[in-house]
Amino acid sequence: MTATPVSPYQGRPGGENVFARITENVARIAEAPRPPPAWYVAFGISVALLLIFISNLALVAWFGVGLWGTMHPVAWGFPIVNFVFWIGIGHAGTLISAILYLLRQDWRTAISRFAEAMTVFALVCAVVFPGIHVGRPWVSYWMLPYPNQMGMWPQFRSPLEWDLFAVGTYATVSVMFWYLGMVPDFATLRNRAAGPVRRVAYGIAAMGWRGSSRQWHRYERAYLLLAALATPLVLSVHSVVAFDFATSQLPGWHSTIFPPYFVAGAIFGGFAMVVTLVVPARQFFGLASLIQIRHLELMNKIILATGMLVGYAYAMEFFIAWYSGVTFEQFAFVNRAFGPYAWAYWTMILCNLAAPQVFWWKAARTNVWVSLAVGIIVNVGMWFERFVIICTSLSRDFLPSSWGYFVPTAYDYLTLAGSFGLFFTLFLLFCRYLPMVAMAEVKATQPSARVR
Amino acid sequence: MELYGVATGLTVTSHDGRPIKVEGNPLHPDSEGATNVFHQASVLGLYDPDRSTGPLRRHGAERGAAPWTEFDRDFGMAMARLRAAGGRGLAVLGRESSSPSLRDLRARLAAAMPESRWYEWEPLTRDAERIGARLAFGRAYRPLLRLERAEVIVCLDADPLVAHPAAIANARGLMRARRPETGRMARVYAIESCFSATGVIADHRLGLRSELIMPLAMALDAAITARAQPLPEHGPAQPRPEAEFLGEPKVASFLATVAKDLLAHIGRGVVLAGPRQPPEVHALCHRINVLLGNAGATVEFLEDPAGDRPTHLASLRAIVAALEAGKVDTLLILGGNPVYDTPVDLAFGPALAKARFTVHASLTDDETSARVDWHVPLAHYLEAWGDGLAYDGTLTLAQPLIGALYGGRSELELVAAMIDDGVRDGLAILRRTHAARLGDDRGFARAVQRGLVGGPMPLERPTLLPFERFHLTERQRGGLAVANGALELTFGADTRLLDGRFANNGWLQELPDPFTKLTWDNAALVAPRTAQELGVADGSLVTLEIGGRTLELPAVHAPGQAPGSIYVPLGYGRTRAGLVGGAPNRGVTPVGADTYGLRSSGAPYIAAGLTLRPTGDLAALAPTQHLHTIDAVGRRGEAERLPMIVREATLAEIANPTYTARDTIRHPSLASWWQDPVSYEGRRWGMGIDLTKCIGCNACVVACTAENNVPVVGKEMVQQGREMHWIRIDRYFRGPADNPEITFQPVACQHCENAPCEQVCPVGATVHSSEGLNDMVYNRCIGTRYCSNNCPYKVRRYNYFNQNLAYADARNQVQRLVLNPEVTVRSRGVMEKCTFCVQRIQRAKISAKNERRSLADGDVATACQQACPTQAIVFGDLNDRLSRVVAERQSSRTYELLGELNNRPRVAYLARVRNPHPDLAAAAAVSRNDEPSRQ
Repeated sequence: MTATPVSPYQGRPGGENVFARITENVARIAEAPRPPPAWYVAFGISVALLLIFISNLALVAWFGVGLWGTMHPVAWGFPIVNFVFWIGIGHAGTLISAILYLLRQDWRTAISRFAEAMTVFALVCAVVFPGIHVGRPWVSYWMLPYPNQMGMWPQFRSPLEWDLFAVGTYATVSVMFWYLGMVPDFATLRNRAAGPVRRVAYGIAAMGWRGSSRQWHRYERAYLLLAALATPLVLSVHSVVAFDFATSQLPGWHSTIFPPYFVAGAIFGGFAMVVTLVVPARQFFGLASLIQIRHLELMNKIILATGMLVGYAYAMEFFIAWYSGVTFEQFAFVNRAFGPYAWAYWTMILCNLAAPQVFWWKAARTNVWVSLAVGIIVNVGMWFERFVIICTSLSRDFLPSSWGYFVPTAYDYLTLAGSFGLFFTLFLLFCRYLPMVAMAEVKATQPSARVR
Repeated sequence: MELYGVATGLTVTSHDGRPIKVEGNPLHPDSEGATNVFHQASVLGLYDPDRSTGPLRRHGAERGAAPWTEFDRDFGMAMARLRAAGGRGLAVLGRESSSPSLRDLRARLAAAMPESRWYEWEPLTRDAERIGARLAFGRAYRPLLRLERAEVIVCLDADPLVAHPAAIANARGLMRARRPETGRMARVYAIESCFSATGVIADHRLGLRSELIMPLAMALDAAITARAQPLPEHGPAQPRPEAEFLGEPKVASFLATVAKDLLAHIGRGVVLAGPRQPPEVHALCHRINVLLGNAGATVEFLEDPAGDRPTHLASLRAIVAALEAGKVDTLLILGGNPVYDTPVDLAFGPALAKARFTVHASLTDDETSARVDWHVPLAHYLEAWGDGLAYDGTLTLAQPLIGALYGGRSELELVAAMIDDGVRDGLAILRRTHAARLGDDRGFARAVQRGLVGGPMPLERPTLLPFERFHLTERQRGGLAVANGALELTFGADTRLLDGRFANNGWLQELPDPFTKLTWDNAALVAPRTAQELGVADGSLVTLEIGGRTLELPAVHAPGQAPGSIYVPLGYGRTRAGLVGGAPNRGVTPVGADTYGLRSSGAPYIAAGLTLRPTGDLAALAPTQHLHTIDAVGRRGEAERLPMIVREATLAEIANPTYTARDTIRHPSLASWWQDPVSYEGRRWGMGIDLTKCIGCNACVVACTAENNVPVVGKEMVQQGREMHWIRIDRYFRGPADNPEITFQPVACQHCENAPCEQVCPVGATVHSSEGLNDMVYNRCIGTRYCSNNCPYKVRRYNYFNQNLAYADARNQVQRLVLNPEVTVRSRGVMEKCTFCVQRIQRAKISAKNERRSLADGDVATACQQACPTQAIVFGDLNDRLSRVVAERQSSRTYELLGELNNRPRVAYLARVRNPHPDLAAAAAVSRNDEPSRQ
């Protein structure tokens, strides 16, 4: 192994040809005896947040969801906002892997592993919330259709039930997709492993991959099939999450625009999150040659485009409310923009609509730090979008006697912060031990791989 | 149950020997089967863990528990000594009571100890009524309202519907006179400084400072006298008083219309004054009623059972003087809490220390108990034999439902102990008092079973005396505007705590005030315009200063409050109420501000010269509905949708055969392509709520709380909107903030046929029953709260915490006894809501089956329906063509709340009908269409 203890990542990757250099570039990260100091700092913070998360959820499970600020009439507060936020983040991964794969967008290979990992971890964060936000989490399994002596079956008219299956399916396929893509890379790491522990661990993960052409053939078929399977899921999962709201009666939720609007928003937020993660990773782990500015620029273009789509949806919501002629609908949107929660609404507009506009300029699109800043801002904005939709609509519905104002408690903020702890803990472990870039796929897109 | 010297007959449900639910005695004239909030909540007071468990004795500065035997020895020795001295130095301070047994015992006490003195004090005295009658007729008569016979009702600062001893009977009577379907609707005028239930019902209301009511009454009298041609013995025609405000167009036109309407309904009108008003106003009302021939028709008179007693204030002054002069050796305070609720300037507390031997009997160890030598626990009314007179004088008997939980003794027993003539037991006292009337055991048993004996006292026909013109103060001759420093301060009974005696009752503390919707607090009510002038933000803290005394408390903007008049409810700021109402010595801050601290004996109800200073701080209030001041967007949105939510019409409008309340909103047909999944061949339960009848008295809310084990969650939880009431009364203001209209709308689960909640529950925890009830299956609920989000009425309530943990505390174990065993106690994490009292439906079905008959209309009464004084709520089987609930739905006033959402609610509302006078209607119509005023 050529990694030096001082700076294992920054030197030029060795190797006689481009394939070797790619392998070296990616594998040395997982093989380095020690990660860079920044990793320790980040990991420490993340684990601290994760502990806060766990202790918060334990307190809530013990004492009751009343520790959060959820109230009457805002019965869904931060937990569901966080759920939809994380589900949204979990969109870009499969989109990049599956849809862009099917569309033969080769540039996706540089970031696909990242995005898929992000998807899986975001899904982990997301599924925690519906489980814990219910009043009696110890019986949340009653939502599953399983034979039982009570003779009870879930109520399939409920969008929450659809949600369970949509998210469950999406999570399963995403994990399979992610894992399948890593199998050849695991084998590479196994082959390069110096110690027995690594060799056995990566060996088990590689599931006996030998790189035979029969295996490659099966692998390509499976990957293609999974991509085809995952593609509709990208659209379905957030559509179904949108049904939670769209099928209800609440003004501000009750809207047919929600499914496409949510999907666009999810892609928007997901890409922003990929950018947010990719920029530091390529800076710290010396992946600049693999994850190039060109890739970043393409992602920024997608952010700009989906941001405009989301903006269009915001505008259409107002138009439809006006056009419907329904007092309650109209009020819901006027109230959203000018009522007590106007601050949240305009934060959302500023973050989601205004910030991405800088990407009209190439200089901004190709600047890593501008990209990072916009990525973070968009993520904040997308969180606020869910807050605005969920809390503002609930806070003032039909009967003015029931109007209220939701104020989050410290538990709400800590749970939100803690969920980032869970996400980044998983993500940092991924950066440390797994192949961060899909080596096999990147190699396949190199000019030298194109044998005619 | 006796409050303020008037006994209301009740029937109580007892389970396993523990009383759990109070209902009105249908035979009783003051109840007719209905109840008020205090009756409903009294059962919780029985199980109050803070009740005294035994006598407490003072040794120097220390107080300690002592057995009853020790008290009996001490007290017996003192009494023996006093009996020898003929009772010299013995004083008793009691509460107002109509109990014949107590009267009998007092006579025996006076005979045994002729030198002893008996005093009475009630903080919310209605003495002005009695003195006013004496002024008008020369003797104290009690006016008995016959509102069912009235066509025109004029209330001067009076609230006969809630704040009146016979409020339930009055409310029933008024509703009999206001039935829009018959075309007959008594017109109600209210002139008052702060909103009352009567002001809400009123067809016309004038917000006027309380002190200006007297000149207004004089002007009304002058106007009536000028036209009614009184007999010579009625005294000379009164000249119209010279008062600047009477020239104001709105006052003048109001007054002219009232006079015109009264004169047009000779013998069918009635003019009333409230207890806050001075005797002169009552006298004027009597005069007007006599002149117009209303006396004997819409208002009848009884001899006041306690007509000759001194006023409470005089009585209190006398005992303080006696104490100060050292003439009181032994003082027994029977019930009451005079250290807390007497006017501050009389300094009752310090005077109390001058007596040598003091005893205070009360339910809890309260402010007064802390200052006496012996505190002894009093028996709760549900634990003791008792008697009393109804407002119309009907003898009412009360039997105990449970042995004294803490060994308390009744007032009767304590007084009997003073006489010591061998009859000391409550039952024996009662038997002795009524021996002549009820005779043998059988007669007594029958009387106890019925709860009342005989009928009302005979009616009297008093003759009107002429009286001189009353003197007006400078302020009363002035205009409507008053400067800060000269503001008016009025006091009144709190709608929930009355005079403070219910301060430790969680059900009442958490009950929202009908007008401000505040829980767990009292506040100074300020007219929005006055508040604007003084720079008082809604819900901010202010300092009130009057007569050198100051008090800091929250102020809320109260539309309809008379400008320049500030109203404060009494009964808060208790320092030794208990763990609910406040006990700083036990680490519980008092709930609300003690407004007795501003009340002087000179001006116990209406005080002038108030200075109000904003402190700049916001108060942490816990209203269940937003306060008056909200953002412009919300206000506009509210105004826009109000006509859809609360549908209103005038009597003239509904007389039009084409009128239907459903037409208020146009929407596409809701006809379904599919057949209903359930055919409801058996029962199909439904409810009707008549908004014309709702007076917002809250009886239904407490009744529901008691019946359905609804938990009390506390102020912090209410601030987060987590109160648990299954039925709430929405209060909406309409029109300009100066003179708004209020409509109350009780909202419970609507049991929608097409229930949005059922649709979204992932585990099927809320389902439709075969009888059309929207059932909540607590066992199955996992607590997603989705149902609440999708409920357009927001009537579902969620257990954010385990509210039953309070019972785990050993001190609160006794409180479990109040729980209704027929209703599941909900744990945390589950949703709950109105069940249409499904347990009552089942009980009625079972008893019908046992009696081998079919269920008849009226067999099932929900708790809210049963408690409702005005019968605004009806419940029954929609499949029964002859049921009242079906009959009500034939009305053109019927509409479904948010019915356009196609939820198909099972509850139908009947539009609120007003009967404006044509002369004032035009003005009212203009104001109703106004944009609501903005702050």
